Amino acid sequence: MIRREIPMWLFLALAIGGIVVLLVSYELLSARQTRINPKQTTIPSFAKLSEGLQKIFQPQGTEENPKPPMFWNDMRATLWRLMVGLGIGVSASIAVGVLMGAYRWIEAPLSPIVMFLSKIPPTAMMPIYFAVAGTDQRMFTSMVALGIFFSMAQSIYQAVRDNVSDESINKAYTLGASEMEVIYEVIWKQILPNVIDCVRMQIGPAMIFLIAAEMVVSDAGLGYQIRMQSRVLNMNIVFVYLVILGIIGLIAEFGLVRLRRWLCPWFEEGAR
Amino acid sequence: MRRTFTSSRSLVATFMMGMAVFGIATLGCGDSKSPAKSGTANSGTANSGTTGGGSTATAPPAKFTLAWSEYPSWSIFGVADEVGLIDGKAGAMGSIEKKYNIDIELLLASYDQCITLYGNSQADAVCITNIDILGAAGSRNSVAIMPTSTSAGADACITAGIKSIDELAGKPTRGLEKSVSQYCFERCLEKLGKNPADFPFSQMDPEQAAQAFQGKDEKIPSIMVWNPFVMQSVRSRNDAHVLFSSDLIPEEIIDMVVVGKDSLGKKSGSDFAKAVVETFYAMNQRMNDEKTRDATLVGIGARFAKLELEDMKTVVTQTRFYSDPKDAVRLFTEEKFQKETMPLVSKFCVKYGLTQAPVELSFGTGKGVMDFDTTFVKEYLEQPKK
Repeated sequence: MIRREIPMWLFLALAIGGIVVLLVSYELLSARQTRINPKQTTIPSFAKLSEGLQKIFQPQGTEENPKPPMFWNDMRATLWRLMVGLGIGVSASIAVGVLMGAYRWIEAPLSPIVMFLSKIPPTAMMPIYFAVAGTDQRMFTSMVALGIFFSMAQSIYQAVRDNVSDESINKAYTLGASEMEVIYEVIWKQILPNVIDCVRMQIGPAMIFLIAAEMVVSDAGLGYQIRMQSRVLNMNIVFVYLVILGIIGLIAEFGLVRLRRWLCPWFEEGAR
Repeated sequence: MRRTFTSSRSLVATFMMGMAVFGIATLGCGDSKSPAKSGTANSGTANSGTTGGGSTATAPPAKFTLAWSEYPSWSIFGVADEVGLIDGKAGAMGSIEKKYNIDIELLLASYDQCITLYGNSQADAVCITNIDILGAAGSRNSVAIMPTSTSAGADACITAGIKSIDELAGKPTRGLEKSVSQYCFERCLEKLGKNPADFPFSQMDPEQAAQAFQGKDEKIPSIMVWNPFVMQSVRSRNDAHVLFSSDLIPEEIIDMVVVGKDSLGKKSGSDFAKAVVETFYAMNQRMNDEKTRDATLVGIGARFAKLELEDMKTVVTQTRFYSDPKDAVRLFTEEKFQKETMPLVSKFCVKYGLTQAPVELSFGTGKGVMDFDTTFVKEYLEQPKK
């Protein structure tokens, strides 16, 4: 029967079973591939993967000119770009989205533009970023920030329009709130959970633009390393980096859900 | 609360189902691949009943794949498909394919993708340089069956506002790391008596670097790229200046066709190599013949950055073809290539982590991990000419 309950222990056992099946079938596939070509690096075995894991923590460079291990170097580059880009993009889109939802005379000129630009895939705009914003931190930051800005401004604006009732705004006015107070105490507090969810949804796309850009122009970063290592066929390092990307995604996801539950305990999940 | 519980649980369930599907898919993929793989990996076993007799007339042709990217001496294979010498589609055969009873499938991809395809055994042969092949040989024992061309100016360091080598010191040059570009950059500096360590080289895709340079990006005063970007960049701005080029290191950067040792060892593997060699020289004849020269160059240009005839005439001076088989044999067998060039390349590959240890090289003996074999070119030379 659809949605019939199963006991918790069975649920957990199946969850673990799924992961075990995945890992075992991977190792078998790798062993088969190794039988065909003993030197294959396409599907590295777990032994090879742990070699890759060690390698990314080894110091780089020469003795007279030592460099940090590639993992820290790449993480620092990518996370810094992501954080700055997200920070600017999120704050700008909150400001614009809230104002658009609050004032009709701001909404009117901006909403058609924002709606249109939010539909263009930011990866398709990459050549423009390269041409306009150069190739350094500024380019990555503006790409991530602008990449998420339009669709986020659009959803925040919609959240203000749909989730904040006229009634609650009028109530606040009746109680003598100023305009700033209405925006902060009524509108902002009610849409905060939507904003956090929005950020959560935008981290994925932001990572896509960032990794894609790093593959093309960068001398450090997760995207750069994945391209260079796959170019020299070190698939074991590529796979380790992919796992790291997955872990970053999971941490961000759980972190933001936690944050929302902590800041907005009143918010019903799934209730729209 | 209850609602939350169900929704997060159904999320986990979906995740689990996804994982299970993935698991099955990987297994299934492996299984479905295995007959195909062993079909190509040892087509001997699959076809032994039919080809074993040696009667090639009735045997079904063995299929081989050649991965190529757009480059003057490699785009030749694309043009060969156009003029009907070979048919690049699987299941269709051109005149040379029929002669050897081989079905060659041409895979057009970007250069980096070609390396990945070949290194991961998704292609039997690849068009690649003598530098990148050492990295790929780390995952697959390889045989270079012929050189196709050498860079004589097709890789260049182009600067704006920097007139001498000494001015370049300390300023970043953009180009593809761990590649022919970086090799050429360092070797030229060495030849000019400089220490490469004083000249920073930082990563950027050559096409993007060339575009940024052409767009007069002030932060990109110097780029190290290959053709067609060299030609485009020099033309795009009046202050562009070729500081040095692969002219300084003649016959060090070699474009080649390489076949996996496993593929070459298959039944009809050597016929495949012969067919590729014959195609290359047949096309070169067309290029050297007055009557077909321009048409062939236009054909290559159409498959190399959409260049026109006049540009192609410049390109073939910067990328010198080994259009004479004797010249190809000379290169692979001469002392300079074996004792100087390849050890230098090998050193570069170790220095930048393309290979962990020097790749074991051999020249025509078939013993090394990477072998440079002139057998097939020599056989072509010995063929009775019509």
